[in-house]
This record gives sequence, structure tokens and C-alpha cells, in this order.
Amino acid sequence: MTSGWSEDAILIATIVSWGVIGSGIAQTTVYMLQLLIAGYALSRRPPVARSSLLWHRYGDVAPPIALIVPCYNEALNVVESVHSMLALEYPNFEVIVVNDGSKDDTLARLVEAFRLVQFSRPFDETLNHAPVRGVYSSPLNERLVVVDKANGGKADAQNAGINVSRAPVFCVIDGDSILEPDALMRASQPFIDDPERVIAVGGTIRIANGSLIENGRVREIHLPTRILPLLQVVEYLRAFLMARLAWSRINTLLLISGAFGVFRRAEVVAVGGFTKGSMGEDLDLIIKLHRHMIERGKKYRIEFIPEPVCWTEAPESLKVLARQRSRWQRGALEVFFRYRTMLFNPRYGRVGMLGFGHMLVVDVLGPVTEVLGYILMPAFWLLGLLSTEHFLAFTALVFTYGVAISVCSLILEETELKRFPRARDLALLTAAAVFENFGYRQLNNFWRVKGYWQYLRADTNWGEMTRTGLSTAKK
Amino acid sequence: MLWAIWTVSLILSLASLAVMVGLILKRVHSERRTARDASLRKRALSGLVRFSGDRDAAALDEALAGAPMLIVADAASEFMALVRGDDRNAVVAALAVRGLPAFLAQELKARNEPRRLHAAEMMAEFPVEIACVPLMASLVRDRAREVRIAAAISLADVGALPPLSVLLGKIGVRGQRSRRLVELFRKFPAAQAGELRAYAIDEQGTPFVRAAAIEALSTTGGIEDGTILPALAEDPSPDVAAAAIRALGRIGHPDAVGPVIRAMTNQDWEVRAEAAEAARRLGVRDVLTPLIGLLEDDSWPVRYAAAKAVRELGDEGLDFLRALASSDTSRSQRTASLVLSEGIAA
Repeated sequence: MTSGWSEDAILIATIVSWGVIGSGIAQTTVYMLQLLIAGYALSRRPPVARSSLLWHRYGDVAPPIALIVPCYNEALNVVESVHSMLALEYPNFEVIVVNDGSKDDTLARLVEAFRLVQFSRPFDETLNHAPVRGVYSSPLNERLVVVDKANGGKADAQNAGINVSRAPVFCVIDGDSILEPDALMRASQPFIDDPERVIAVGGTIRIANGSLIENGRVREIHLPTRILPLLQVVEYLRAFLMARLAWSRINTLLLISGAFGVFRRAEVVAVGGFTKGSMGEDLDLIIKLHRHMIERGKKYRIEFIPEPVCWTEAPESLKVLARQRSRWQRGALEVFFRYRTMLFNPRYGRVGMLGFGHMLVVDVLGPVTEVLGYILMPAFWLLGLLSTEHFLAFTALVFTYGVAISVCSLILEETELKRFPRARDLALLTAAAVFENFGYRQLNNFWRVKGYWQYLRADTNWGEMTRTGLSTAKK
Repeated sequence: MLWAIWTVSLILSLASLAVMVGLILKRVHSERRTARDASLRKRALSGLVRFSGDRDAAALDEALAGAPMLIVADAASEFMALVRGDDRNAVVAALAVRGLPAFLAQELKARNEPRRLHAAEMMAEFPVEIACVPLMASLVRDRAREVRIAAAISLADVGALPPLSVLLGKIGVRGQRSRRLVELFRKFPAAQAGELRAYAIDEQGTPFVRAAAIEALSTTGGIEDGTILPALAEDPSPDVAAAAIRALGRIGHPDAVGPVIRAMTNQDWEVRAEAAEAARRLGVRDVLTPLIGLLEDDSWPVRYAAAKAVRELGDEGLDFLRALASSDTSRSQRTASLVLSEGIAA
């Protein structure tokens, strides 16, 4: 089969193919490990079904929480989002909306809807941020505080919100997200169970496209009717239910999504808050927290709860999704190289070994080797430089193992959580879990390689995240 | 090896798909059952509502007929959260006769932790002679600390709390950090408050548990002795000292001023912040000067709590803040001017 080619060409093809296969084996091993740990974690801590039980159990001892909502050009959704946040079921919380110099009428809509009046509120100035132009309160609801500030980016707005907050625990969410009514109650549970050690908690983010949304609440859960958001549902399940839950179990969680995260204020202030100008400010913060606590020899936990707590709108067009994925990749690379000294550094224990090892395999090497594989492996095989065994092994690693991992995360969902209401949803998701490995995964990797290129060119443009708004029912 | 990678991937994919198909079929079957369960639950709930009004046992039996005990327990749990007094007692008695406590005792042995936790909580609805034995068994044997704490809280509710030493021995104090301990301690009967006091002052005790005991005692009036809290406010553990200072402020004890002032120089910022807050509650003139010293504290929460306390110390405090606010720019000047400008809504 390989006759006609020089030994050098065959040797090069063999080395490249083993590099690609080795990277694929490493990634698949990480995913399989995550599946096993996540399955164990879910079996050890099944979720609490009813929120009234949580209230009964924890209502008296739940810590005060400040809900920080950075907004930039969110006029479309902001009033409805704030209404739903103010209606959350939690005994002691305030909502701090930070208008980050929006160019649209975000502030005007808030002023009108909540009859905001400017007032003076002293606040901590430990974290730096762009100047605050005014702080507003509402005579309609004493829980609401609106901070209007000059534009400085999401991290800057979050830092301003942290400064203004007075609660020992704060929660950051995106302005266009929808929280479950009991989200804070669920997310506060680790802070009640282990208040000394728990410094951050993340929760599962779910995709709201297709669901019936009324008055800022998800009334009926439906799957998206369009293919791209549907594939992202499977992707999110895998990311949250498998990866984050697994790493949380062994206290190696490196990412709490910026769409929903609860943090102990003192530790976040101690690490300087969110890093401004970062593409992956959520990832950056968690790594800073790990580093801070480990370097000071403090015992700590960064937890993840598997229950869905927050709904978000997934991109429905290839163009927007491509921008989002490229940006995520740039963020991951930026943070990885910023804290590269933690990689395989025994001082940082599991975080350095497993957490950063995972980033190296999945975020740094993974996309490049996989895309190289898409191009070179079929070419080598067709040219007769590579044996069929090599080609099949590559195919297994980029297609069939992907099917097994995606379907297994669905199995976890169904055996432990059962959040999808209908059997036909499960059937559709199973089909999506298979289908996503034949085209969507490859497309994603191309976008990630594009993100790689943008990172190398130091392109810091976020790109516009076009949203159609979640307030409209059933898309 | 390469063939193995391919073969294993095929086996795993096909196996996972087969399991998933099985789960989908199971779901199809359970969808029918779910609809039936929802109907049974609705009927059981309606039956309980009616029974609380007319006490018609036969109608209740009819409403609960055919409903699995898990559904009855679920409906009962929801209903009992809404009803009080004689109506509640009548429902509880009716459910006891119909075997709910025996079912809950079984649930206390379930593999699923939330189910055990819920059963322990529900058991508190029943009289001590029914609830005590299964709850004690749960306190002694359950492998999950949260369930053991829930069993202890329920034992307190039914009036069968064991001595504190036994309780802490069974719950386990090593690594104990749950805030639910405060809830448990708040439910301690007056007759056992002495045990909590003894634990609070025991220097060998776990600081987190001692702090929880102090917090609970300060809200139930069990620690108003003039010597205990001032001594605890000087405890080397910041947890204990902060809890004692908070309690002194909450109780407003006349002997609190000295310990509160001393706590303002504690090395831990949380203790200093608690001291400033306690000083605000005490509202006596003696705390003014040390509070002014805290306006230069490194920690913002301490500076803010101190400035708020100064502001609330009457004209003298306000005059001082005004003078400070118009002085040269400094950390305390900034804090003073911010607190003075604070509106009602803050």
C-alpha cells in the first residue's frame, strides 16, 4: 500500500498521524474520565426536586446575596429581565444593575419602568473601574439599585457592581439571561453547608431557544426548532453536566460561566476582581481564585451544582456562533498563557496537573491537531502514506468516541435529572448527539482555530453578539 | 492497538445508543405513569383539603385510595406547609392512622439522600412516640451529615432532643461547618440551653460550633449572663469572638461597651466590623472615639460600619463627620462624606 513513496515521506506521515491520534486519545481519555467522575458525583448528590423544600430547609440561614447584572445595549430585554430577577425566591437579596455606558436607551427604559431616582450610596473603591455617573434606587422596589457608569467592558461593569454591593456573597449574571425562581436558593446551598470553605459556585446554564417564555420566566421547556441551537443543547449538556460537575467533584473546576456564578465577595476583592480587557474574564477569575487560595495555604471549595439555574439565548446563525466560539477560544488561550506557570506545577496540585493539563489537551493542542487531522489524515490515507488502521483510529477518535461521549452525557441527564419533559425530546436529542459529531464538531474546531489565529494576531475585538430577545415566546 | 481504538469506539457508541433507546422507551412508559401520578396526587391533595374542613374519614380514604404512599407523602408535605392548628393536627392524626409514619421510616433508609432528608423533615410532623425511634436511628446511623442534622432538628421539633454531647457525637463536629447547626441550636429547649452555654465557653470546642451556639443563644435569650459574652468576645478564635460581639450588640448588654471597644482593635477585620456594628446598636457615647479610629481602617466594610455607627450617635457624631468631610482629602474624609451623603434608600 505504501510502495512508491520514499521512506522519509512515510516516516513523516506516520509521525504526524501519531501526533494527531495521540492528541485524540488524550482528549478522549479526559472526556471518559469526566464522564465517570460526573456519574459518581451525581449518584452521590442527587438534586433536590422541589424549591419549597429548599426554602423550608435553608430560608433562615441563607446568606444575603447581591445579584450583579452588567448591561450593555440590553434595552430589548432589560426591563423584563430585571422584573424576573426581582421576583426571585430568596429571603435576602438585592439586584444591582450596572449600565455599562450603553449606547441605546437601556438606562432610560430602566428609569421609566422602575421610576428610578438618583441617590448617593457610599461604596467600596477597592476594585478599579470606569467612573460611576450615578447610582439610582427605585421607590417601587427597595431591592433594586442601578449603577450608571462610563463604558469599560463587562469585567469593568462587574467590578463596579462588586464595589457597590454590600452582601458577603454576590452573583453575577448576564443581562439577557433568565434565572429559575429558585436559582439563588439552590446556588446558596453550598455556602450554607460549608460556609468557611466554599468561595464560588456555578450552576448549569440551559438554552432557552424554543421554550415558552412569559414575563421573564421559562413556562414550558421545549427544544429549539432550529438545528444550530439544538446542537448547542447537547453541547451545553456535555459541558455542564459532564465536564464541570466532574472537575467540581475533585475541586479542579476552572470555569464558572459568566452567565451565572455566585462568589464570596472578600476573596474576589482580594484577587482584584474580574480582569479587565480579558476575553475569558470568567475563566480568569476562577484561576485567580485557585491561585490565591493555594498560595495562601487556605482550604477552599469551588463548587458546581447540576440543577439548571439559568437560561440563555443561543446563537441561531452560523456567523454569530462562529464569532462566539472564536472569542471563547481566544479567551481560553489568553488565560492559559497568562497563568502558564501553573501548568504541571506541583505547587498547584490538581489544579496545575489536571485542570491546566485539561486546558493544554482540549483548548491549546486539541483544535489545532484535530483540524490538522481532518486535512492530513484522509490525504495521507488516499495517497497511500498511511495504513487503514491509522485512518480508522483517527475516525474513531473524532467521530465515534464523540457519539459515545455525547450520548453518555444524555444518559446521565436522563438517569439523574430528567429535565427534558417528553420522550420525543430525548429521541431528538439523541439524534442531535449523534449528528453533532458529523459536521458540527468539525465546524467548531475550524472556528476555534480561527480564534487561535486571532489570538496570535492579538485581535481583541469581541464581535457583536446579535440577540433577538428571549421575551418572545417559542421561536 | 489502532484496531482496538476503532473497535472499542464502535462498541461504546453502540452500547450508549442502546442504553439511550432503552431510556427513551422507559420514558414513554413512565409518561403514562406520570400523568396517572399527577392525577392521583391532585386527588389526594383535594382529599386532604376537604378533610381539614369536614373531618370526613371515609371521604379521605376514598381520595387516597389507589395512591402509592410516596404520592400521599408528597401531597401531605405540600398541604401541611400551608395549614396550622387543629386542622393540621387532624390531618396529621389521619395520616398517622393510614401508615404514613411507617412509610417515612422506610424512606429514612432509602439510598437516595434527598429522599432520606425529606423523610427526616416530614417525620417532625408526627407525635414523639411515633417519630422518636426512627429519627434517633437516622441520627445514629445515617451516612450523610445533612440527614443527621435534619433528624436532630426534627427530634428538637418533637421534643426528644438527646443531650448536646450525644447530639454532637452523632452529627460529628470534625469538619462541621453547616449553617443549619444554628437552626438546630435555635430549637434547643430552654431546659437544655445550659448545655449550649457550656459548649460555647469550652475552649476545647470546635470554633464553628461554638460560634453557632453563641448565635443561637443570643437570638433565644439563653446567654444574657453578664460575664459569658464579654469573655467570649476576647476569644482567640475570630469565629467565636465575632459571634460574641454580634450577640453583645444584639442583646444590648450594659457590660458590652468595654469588650466592643477592645474588639475594635482585633486583628481580624470581620471582628472589627462586627464591633463597629455592635457599637452602632449600643449607641453610647463611649464608643465614639474608638469608632473614629476605625474610619482609617484598611478594610472598607470596617470603615463603612464605623462611619454608619458614628452617624447614628446623635449630633456629636454627625458634627464630627461633617468636620471630617470638609477636612483635607484622606481615607476617613472620603468615608465620612460618602456616609453623610447617603440617602434614605441606601
